[in-house]
Amino acid sequence: MISARRIPALILLLLCVFASDVRAGDFRVLLVLSDNAPLYQRFAKAFMQDLPQGMRVDQLQHAEDFDSQKSDLIISVGVRAAYRVAEKTSQPLLAAMIPSKSYEDLKETRQGGMSAIYLDQPWNRQVEMLHAVMPNRKRIGVLYSEAQEIAGLRSELARRHGTLIARHLGGKDTLSSDLEEVLSASDVLLAVPDSEIYNANSIRNILLSSYRRGIPLVGFSEAYVRAGALCAIFSTPEQLALQTADAAVSYSKTGRLPEAQYPEQYSIAINRSVASTLGMVIGTDEAIFLQLRKSSEDKR
Amino acid sequence: MKKRYALMLCLACKTGYASEEVNESDYYQELPVVLSASRLSQPLSDAPNAMTVIDRKMIVASGFRTIADLMKLVPGMYVSYYRGSQPIVAYHGTTDEFSRRMQVLIDGRSVYMPPTGTVSWADLPITVDDIERIEVIRGPAAASYGANSTQGVISIITRDAGSMDGKSVTYRHGDKGINDAEARFGKRGDTYDYRMTLAYTADNGYDSLTSLPNGYTMATFKAPGLLNNSNDSNQARMLNYRGDYHPNGIDRYDIQFGFNHDVQGVGFNDKNPSIYNSYMGTNGDPFHDLIGNSDYAQLGWTRQLDHGAELSLRYSHSRLDQYEAFPVYLAGVYFPGPVVQSLQSSRDEIELQHTLPLNDSNRLVYGAGYQVDRAGGQSAMPPVSQYYSSSYVYSEYRAFAHDEWHITPKWLLNLGGMFEKDDLGQFNTSPRVALNYHVTPGQTLRAGVSVAYRASSTAETSYPLLQPGALIIPAPVMNSPGLQPEKLVSREIGYIGEFPEWATSVDLRLYSDQLSNGIYLSSTARSFVNGMTGEYHGFEATVKHEFDQDNSLTVNFAHAWAASNGVLLAASGQKIMVSADPSNSDILAASIPGNSASALYMVRLPHDYSFSASGYYQAAMQPFDRGAIDYQPAERRIDVRIAKALAVSAGVKGSVALVLQNLLNQAYTEYIASNLFNRRGYVMLTLDW
Repeated sequence: MISARRIPALILLLLCVFASDVRAGDFRVLLVLSDNAPLYQRFAKAFMQDLPQGMRVDQLQHAEDFDSQKSDLIISVGVRAAYRVAEKTSQPLLAAMIPSKSYEDLKETRQGGMSAIYLDQPWNRQVEMLHAVMPNRKRIGVLYSEAQEIAGLRSELARRHGTLIARHLGGKDTLSSDLEEVLSASDVLLAVPDSEIYNANSIRNILLSSYRRGIPLVGFSEAYVRAGALCAIFSTPEQLALQTADAAVSYSKTGRLPEAQYPEQYSIAINRSVASTLGMVIGTDEAIFLQLRKSSEDKR
Repeated sequence: MKKRYALMLCLACKTGYASEEVNESDYYQELPVVLSASRLSQPLSDAPNAMTVIDRKMIVASGFRTIADLMKLVPGMYVSYYRGSQPIVAYHGTTDEFSRRMQVLIDGRSVYMPPTGTVSWADLPITVDDIERIEVIRGPAAASYGANSTQGVISIITRDAGSMDGKSVTYRHGDKGINDAEARFGKRGDTYDYRMTLAYTADNGYDSLTSLPNGYTMATFKAPGLLNNSNDSNQARMLNYRGDYHPNGIDRYDIQFGFNHDVQGVGFNDKNPSIYNSYMGTNGDPFHDLIGNSDYAQLGWTRQLDHGAELSLRYSHSRLDQYEAFPVYLAGVYFPGPVVQSLQSSRDEIELQHTLPLNDSNRLVYGAGYQVDRAGGQSAMPPVSQYYSSSYVYSEYRAFAHDEWHITPKWLLNLGGMFEKDDLGQFNTSPRVALNYHVTPGQTLRAGVSVAYRASSTAETSYPLLQPGALIIPAPVMNSPGLQPEKLVSREIGYIGEFPEWATSVDLRLYSDQLSNGIYLSSTARSFVNGMTGEYHGFEATVKHEFDQDNSLTVNFAHAWAASNGVLLAASGQKIMVSADPSNSDILAASIPGNSASALYMVRLPHDYSFSASGYYQAAMQPFDRGAIDYQPAERRIDVRIAKALAVSAGVKGSVALVLQNLLNQAYTEYIASNLFNRRGYVMLTLDW
């Protein structure tokens, strides 16, 4: 039974199928962006580069425009696009640029083939970076609210003889006092993506408070490093796009989606002025990168 | 159908949740630049000068209540008091009671005031608890900080407007009338932070001398009144406010104002009108109050430009008005008087600065400033039928530039200069060049040369012959109009070593400074003249060691010696240049303590206790302009502090501390023989909520 409210979607779908000049045998990918913000455009642009022959990519600039359009593979870019596609269809979905936690949540409620290219860096990689940048700072402070899963961080830190000083945010009003509590027992403050704690308004006081105590903040994007964080490890939209393209190609050949995976390519940024003000001697970017590479190879 | 609805509902609630859940905008959002160039202090290993930083932790651990005392933690710094409430802070030994060769800044605003060119520490509208850290540049830094920084710069950085979110009260009570009550509160907002302090501080200064100093007998001690000579109590009532408006990620506005009403005891027992003192001349200075009202307002604007560049504009106004009235005893006749003197001084200053990273390895800071100093005074001396008033206005322009060039990762060149032009027609150029060589990432060698000038103060160009009381009211007519600025050429070699494996850092400095055109009070001309030359040499060391993260020790040591043309000047009839030290005929050399040292140990103990101990040593010396009776013997002092943090109730924290100064009661005197410091203690209670 087709309910009346699905008819417009069906018409749209038929229109799509007839309007496209798809050659038979082409592998069709539908790239669904969360919206047309520059961030997603950067992803899309990088994704479109060097596509293999026989792969045909359509783009939707807004997640809301997706309404069960048929394709061999749907790639959502961003959390909003992933939820939209998941809600509308059970076609194979590759969710790119999505935090691992969001993906786990999504997987619980959705049927159908699905995989992901995560946005966040795995804990072990972050711990290796902390170790490479400041091996002597062992007490890692983390302030978090509901959304965070930090048990993994604790065990990864223990492997490097570090201690996790974790504090759960009491509420919006207690941010200052909770932060002071964490800072008073820590050598480093590790920022975690959590808009209740870290946002454009709060970052000022967080950075100033930690700087006053001579404690570096470790961020999770280049913007954090520009703002005054000591360092950050992150993947750019371009790096995520290339990995996504590889996964799409693999799917087109094998018909099997790869396992959900953390970013393979990543960048590091170090604020040298902050480092020298804090009296920290830090190796070159290349040296730290090599050390990270080496420790990840050792693990394998 | 039902199942699908349930799924869709669930997804809908998930989607709703997703807006609060982490998403890519958390990762890729733009953030304001918080730790901009002006926020970040230059690391010691890149600085063109030797520098000592006293941070909040050290301030608390030292147990000191005054800013001047904190300077005891700087190697080579002479800290003493003319009276209990009038500190003398000088590098390279004493000058006179108005030490005026140091530049002192609070948040960039210079606080040495006309007409004497000295800092009235008791009138500063801040307490030690308002200070975040103090950066002390040892050696001249005129290239960056202009005239008056011939010996060094004390740069006090007060706590940020956003440094507290809540309320706090502190009470200190102890020996010698120590009675401080402070209340502070602050709020952090999305675009506006502020903090405010209301404080009352009081103490009774030095202890009373009850026996004769330095082996003198009563017969040689012409003035028996020297015993129990201290009238040096001080009460200050103050308020200060700091606001920080940051409407966007680019602009920042710093808004500050403050006020201090200070009543300090001045005068000397041996100058009291009394039958003992019939020998006394007209220079009467009996016990009386000196009342000071000071205030300041400061507005700063900082704008972040592209590529790490920054533009900043600062305007400040400072004012200090002082007043005293007292009777005098003149040639055996008591004059109820009173002698009335008042002094009004102010400074308005505006400065524009552009910080411009030319590339990754080269940063240029340049700017210009303009300041107007006003000094006016009135003196009415009925006993000698002298009445006068004076008024002086001086303006000064300056332009400065400083370039920090990392030629290679190992070589850093700091090149700078200051150009100053004042109303008196003086045009001075103070250049500086310093080359830092990073032997390894943790070890740096530094060599530097700089030139600095000190412009004469109004009190020197218009020296008043009669000086009753505590205030120096400039003469109505300039009597040393041709006074040239003092010039100091400084050469130094420094070493900074970081040894992370031993948790130790080392800071060493060897220097040689040449003073020319030195200004002194001519005994023959009875006015200030140029003509003193001198040289200072010394070695300084600071070693810091962290036993563990809760346990650290800082040790400072300084050795210094000096030479001057004092002997020649004395021989030519300059009585003021006759050394009072029988063992050293060079007045300048005698005024330098050969060795001095300080140490501060801090430890955090279990159960929220913390303990700190500090020790201070200064070799014997003869204060420059004092008589032999004021010879300052070697000074040894140990202070301890023990504190416990308390969790009073939910949301209320506090601490209680006990501070004992001069624990071993090794009584010492400083600058004036009657300035006696015995053991004293106080307790301190703090509540934060």
